[in-house]
Amino acid sequence: MPSNKELSAALDIEGTVPIHSVQLDAMVVLKIVKHCRESIPATVTGQLMGLDVNGVLEVTHSFPMPKNNQDSEDDGSNYQVQMMRCLREVNVDDNSVGWYQSTNMGNFMNQSLIEHQFEFQQALSKSVLIIHDVARSSMGNINLRALRLTPAFMKLYKEKKFTTEALTKAKLTFSNIFEELPITIRNTALLTALLYELETADESVEVSTSHLTTYKSTASAPASKSVLAPSFDVLDLSLDPYVAKNLENLMDTIDDHHQEQGNYAYWQRSVERENKKKAAYLLNRKTENARRAQSGQAPLANEDVDAMFKVPAEPSRLDHLLISGQIDNYCKQINEFAGPTLGKLFAVGELQK
Amino acid sequence: MSRFFRAGESDSDETESDYSEELSNSESEDHSDSDSDDSSSDDDEATKKTGRGRLFEGSFSDSESEDDTVRVVRSAKDKRFEEIEQAVNSMANGQKINDWVSAQNEFDRANKGLQKAAGIISQTGVPKFYIKAVADLEKAIQAALEKEKSASKKMNASNAKALNSMKQKVKKNNRLYEKEIQEYEKDPENYAVEEEIIEEKPKVKKPKKVVVSDSEDDSEAEAADDGFTPVGAGGKSVEFNQENIYKKLKEVADARGKKNTNREDQVRILEKLLVVANSPYQKIRVLLALVSAQFDFAIGASGYMSIPLWKHADKYLNNLLTILEANPEYIIKENVPEEEETEKDRVSQNGEPVLIQGSIVAFIDRLDDEFTKSLQNIDPHTTDYVDRLKDEVGLYSVIVRSQAYFTRIELTDSISRTTTRRLEHLYFKPDVVIVAVENATAALLPPSVAKPSQDSSALIHELCVYLYKNATSLLRTRAMLCHIYHHALHNRFFVARDMLLMSHLQETIHQADVTTQILHNRAMVQLGLCAFREGMIKEAQTCLQDISGTGRVKELLAQGLSLQRYGAATPEQEKLERQRQLPFHMHINLELLECAYLTCSMLLEIPAMAQAGNSPENKKKVISKPFRRMLDYNSRQVFTGPPENTRDHIMGAAKALSNGEWQKSMELINAIKIWELMPETQKIKEMLGRKIQEEGLRTYLFANASYYSSVGLDQLAKMFDLPLNSAISIVSKMVWSEELAASIDQVSNVVVLHHVELSKVQALALAFADKAAGFVEGNEKLLELKTPQQTERPKKGPNANKEQATGKQQQQRTMGPRGGRGGRNQFNNGLGNSVRGGRK
Repeated sequence: MPSNKELSAALDIEGTVPIHSVQLDAMVVLKIVKHCRESIPATVTGQLMGLDVNGVLEVTHSFPMPKNNQDSEDDGSNYQVQMMRCLREVNVDDNSVGWYQSTNMGNFMNQSLIEHQFEFQQALSKSVLIIHDVARSSMGNINLRALRLTPAFMKLYKEKKFTTEALTKAKLTFSNIFEELPITIRNTALLTALLYELETADESVEVSTSHLTTYKSTASAPASKSVLAPSFDVLDLSLDPYVAKNLENLMDTIDDHHQEQGNYAYWQRSVERENKKKAAYLLNRKTENARRAQSGQAPLANEDVDAMFKVPAEPSRLDHLLISGQIDNYCKQINEFAGPTLGKLFAVGELQK
Repeated sequence: MSRFFRAGESDSDETESDYSEELSNSESEDHSDSDSDDSSSDDDEATKKTGRGRLFEGSFSDSESEDDTVRVVRSAKDKRFEEIEQAVNSMANGQKINDWVSAQNEFDRANKGLQKAAGIISQTGVPKFYIKAVADLEKAIQAALEKEKSASKKMNASNAKALNSMKQKVKKNNRLYEKEIQEYEKDPENYAVEEEIIEEKPKVKKPKKVVVSDSEDDSEAEAADDGFTPVGAGGKSVEFNQENIYKKLKEVADARGKKNTNREDQVRILEKLLVVANSPYQKIRVLLALVSAQFDFAIGASGYMSIPLWKHADKYLNNLLTILEANPEYIIKENVPEEEETEKDRVSQNGEPVLIQGSIVAFIDRLDDEFTKSLQNIDPHTTDYVDRLKDEVGLYSVIVRSQAYFTRIELTDSISRTTTRRLEHLYFKPDVVIVAVENATAALLPPSVAKPSQDSSALIHELCVYLYKNATSLLRTRAMLCHIYHHALHNRFFVARDMLLMSHLQETIHQADVTTQILHNRAMVQLGLCAFREGMIKEAQTCLQDISGTGRVKELLAQGLSLQRYGAATPEQEKLERQRQLPFHMHINLELLECAYLTCSMLLEIPAMAQAGNSPENKKKVISKPFRRMLDYNSRQVFTGPPENTRDHIMGAAKALSNGEWQKSMELINAIKIWELMPETQKIKEMLGRKIQEEGLRTYLFANASYYSSVGLDQLAKMFDLPLNSAISIVSKMVWSEELAASIDQVSNVVVLHHVELSKVQALALAFADKAAGFVEGNEKLLELKTPQQTERPKKGPNANKEQATGKQQQQRTMGPRGGRGGRNQFNNGLGNSVRGGRK
C-alpha cells in the first residue's frame, strides 16, 4: 500500500498524539451493521477509512472485504488495493485506519484476530479494530466496540515471549490485552437535516425508517428521540436463549481453560522432577567432594549442571491469556445483561398483578 | 511338645517341671540362701544337659554372625577393642582386594582407636589381633609393591600413592611393636588362639572336642575349694565358686559381642555361676547376664529366636523377678553410676536400696518381640503355632509381673512400656479369652503380684487410663487406638467413635510411625465392622471405605504382603514390611471384611444409582469405586453362572435389588457363608433383610417415579413387605431430603409424584456451577504445586482474578436486583480482594 504510507507519513508531521477516541460516521455504522447482519452466522471483516485528527480517529468510510474463499490470500489484498484506487478516484478518503469484524456473543478473542490486529498496528500505529456483536445487537442496543492492542502486549507479542516472568514484568493480565476506546457517532449535516425533516413527515415515512431507532441509545447524534416511533425491542422477554447461549460458551471456554491448566500442571510437574534430579545430583556431588577432600584428593571438576538437566520450556501463556480474557468477556456480558433484565422482569411482574 | 524332640532336646519336660517347681517354691517359701541354692542346683542339672545338647546342635552351624543388636551392658574395654577390631578387619579386606586407599583409612582408624584405648592397653598389653594385623599388613604391602614393579598394568595414582604412604607409616608403626611381632611371626598359628586364652574366650574348635581352657584361673580356683563344683568337659575340670564369681562374670561380660565368642559356652558358664551364687545380689547379677546371654544367640535361618532358648530366657527372667520380689532392697535400674568394685557382695545397709545396673524392661521388650517374631515365622496352620501361642500366657504373666515390679519401684517410663505391652496382648481378644488369660496368669504368679480381673472392659479401661495419664504421646496414641478397637469389638460404636473423634487422631495419624498407622487402620476397620453389626450401614461404609476401597487391604492391615506392582520394593523394604506383619491370631478376617464392605456399598450404591438415572452428571458420583468396578465387570459378562463366592453373591444381590426383586436379593445375601463368623449371625441377617427391603423400596421409587402420577402407600408397603408406618417414614424422608419430587396425600394415603423438568438455563446453570467449582479447584491445585521458581508469586494475580470473575458471576445469579450497574465496580473491588487473599 504505497499510497497509504505516503499519506501517513505526511500526517505524521502533526506529531504523535495518541488516539483517545473513535468517531464513526453514521453511514459507516450502517454499512458495518448491514454487512455483518447479512452474512450471519459467518464472521466477516472489512476495511475502515478515515483520518486521525488530534487524538480522535475519524472513520468516514468503510468497505466490506469479500468472503474468504480458500483460494488465495492475495485475492483479498488485490481486492483491497483495487478498491482503494477506485475510492481515491471518486475522491473518497482512502486512508486505511483499521478494520472491523463481526462476532457472535463476544467470542472474538482468538489467535488469528490478535495476529491480524498486531500486523495492522505494526504497519499503522493508529489503526483501530471495531467489533460488532450481531447477536447482542439483536437483543436491543447496538453493540460496537473499538479496540486497540496495548503497547505492553504489542511488545511481548513481537518477542513472542509469553512466559510467566515476562507477563509479570509487563504487568500484563487478560484485562489489559486490549484497550477500549470510546465511540461517538457523527451524523453529517445533511443527515441531521433529513432527520429533522422526518420529524415533521407523515406516518408512511416513519415506518420505512423505523429500524433506525435501534441505534439511538448509543448514538449521541442530534437526532431527537421524539422524532421516530419508539422501538420496543428492548422489552423483549425471551431472555433464556441469551443467557443459555452465554453459559454454553462460557462452559466451553472453561473446558479450554481446563486443558490449559492441565498443560501447565504437566509442565510444573516436569520442572519439579528435573529440579529434584538436579538437586540430588548436586548433593551427590557435594558429598563426593567432601569425601575426596577428606582423603586429600582434588574435588571433581564442576560441570555445567544446567546443561545436564534441561528444564523444559514454559508453555506459552498467550492461549491462557486469551481464554481468560474470553471468560472475562462472557462474565461481563452476563453481568451487563442481568441488571436490566431483572428490571424488566420486575416490571412485567407488576403488570401481571 | 514334639518340637523339642525335633530340636534334639530330650529333657524339656524336666525343665518345664523344674520351672513350675521353682515357682511354687518361690511362692510358698521364704528365700533363705540355702533354699534357693537347692532349687537352682536342681535346675542346674537340667540346664547343664540342655546346654550340652544345644552345644552340639549349635556347633554344626558355627556361624558367628554379628546380628545381635541389643547389647545391654558393654564395658569400655570391650567397646574400644571392638572398634579397633572392626577397623583391622576392614583393613584386611582392603588389602585383599588391593584397595589401598580404604586400607589406609582403616589403618589410621585402628591407630586412633588404639590411642583412645591407651589406658586399657597399659594394663592388658596391646591386643594381639592388632599385632597380627599389622604384621600381616607389612607383608602384604611388600608383596604388593613387588607385584607392582613387575605388573604390566599399573594401579591408579591414588591407590599407588596410598600404598606408598602406607609403607612408610607401617614401617614406623611396627617399630613400636617389634617384640610382639617377632613373637607372632614365630608361631602365627597359635598366636591368635593364645589371644583367645588370655582374653578368656573359650572357643570350640571342632564339634566333638570341647575345649574349655582357662589357664591361670584354674590354680586360683583350685586353691579355694569352697563351693567346689566340678564339671566334666573333655576330661578337664572347671571350677566355679563364690570367690571367682564376679571375675567370671566380668570375663563373660567382656567377651560379649566379640567375634569368636562361643555363646553356648558363655551360657554354660553363667548357668554354673548361677548354681554357685549364694546371695541375692550375686544371683541378680548372674541372672541379668544370663538373660542377655540368651538373647545374644545368633538368629539362624528361621529368623527368630529358637523356642527352647526363648523359654530359658523367660524362665530366667521369671527367676530374676522372683528374687527381686523377695528382696525388695535390690533395685535394678538403667541409670546407675557404674560400680568400681563389683567384686564383692553388696547388701543393703540401713534399708538403703542397692542399685544394680540393668534394664528389665528391655528384656521384656525383647522377649515380647521375639515371641511375635516367632509367631510371624511359624506356619499358622500347624499345631506348632498353637503350641507356641500357649506360651503367651507365660509371657503375659512375666509382663504383668514386671509391671507390678515397676509399680513398686516407681519407674514410670517402664510401667508405661510394660502396660502398653500388656494392653497390646489383650485389646483384640474377646472377653472370655481375656478373663481366661487373666486367671491363668494369676495362677502362675504369686497372689501379691497379680489379682485376676474378671471384667475385661474394666481392665482395658484401667490400663488405658493409666497410659493416658502417664505415658508419652506415642504410647498414649497407641493406648487410645487399642481402647477404640476394644470398644468397637464390643459393639460400643458410639463410645468408640466419640473417642476417635475427640482425640483428633485421624488428623495426625499420617505423621505417626507405620506400626501405629497399622493399628489405626485396624481400629478403623473394627469400628466399621462394629457399625455394620449395629446396622449402621452408612457409618460402616465410611469407616471401611479408606481401607477396603483401596485394594491394598492386606498391606494396610499388615496381614500379608501385597503384590508388588511396578517392582518398586527393594529387598530392604520388603524385609521391613515382613517384620511389620501381625501374627495370624491377631488377624481380622479379610473375607468377612470385604463382604461387609461390599454389602454396605450395595445398600448405598444401588439406590444412588437408581436416583442418578440416566443423567451423566450424577452418574459420576461414585460412593464405592471397587463395588462399581465389580458390578460393571459382572454385568459385562455374557453368561453369569450361579454364585460361587462371596462377591458373586453380593453382585447377584445387587442386581436383584436394582430390579426391585428384594426377596431374591435377600436370599442371596443370606446364603453367604462367611456371616457365620459374625457373632449373632441370625440377628445380622435379619437386620440385613430389613435394610434390603427399605433400600429396595427407595430404589423402586427412584427408578420408577417417572412412570407414576401417584402410588398408594399401602401398595408400596405390601410390595416390599414392610409395615405401613416404615414405608411412610421412608417416603417422607425421601421427600424431605429432596431426593424425590413428591408429596404425601394423607387423606387418600398415596404418594403424589411431581414431575419437574429443568429448563435449559437451569440445567446449564447447574452444570456451570459444577464447572466453576472444578475450575476453582484446578486453579488452587496449580497454585499449591509450587514450582521452585520465584515466578510463582505473581502468577497468583491473574489466576485469582479469574476465580473471582467466575465467583462473581455465580454470585450475580443469586444476588437479585441490586446486581445491576454496580456489578462492574464490585468486580474491580473483587480483584483487589482476591489478590490480597492470594497472598495469605
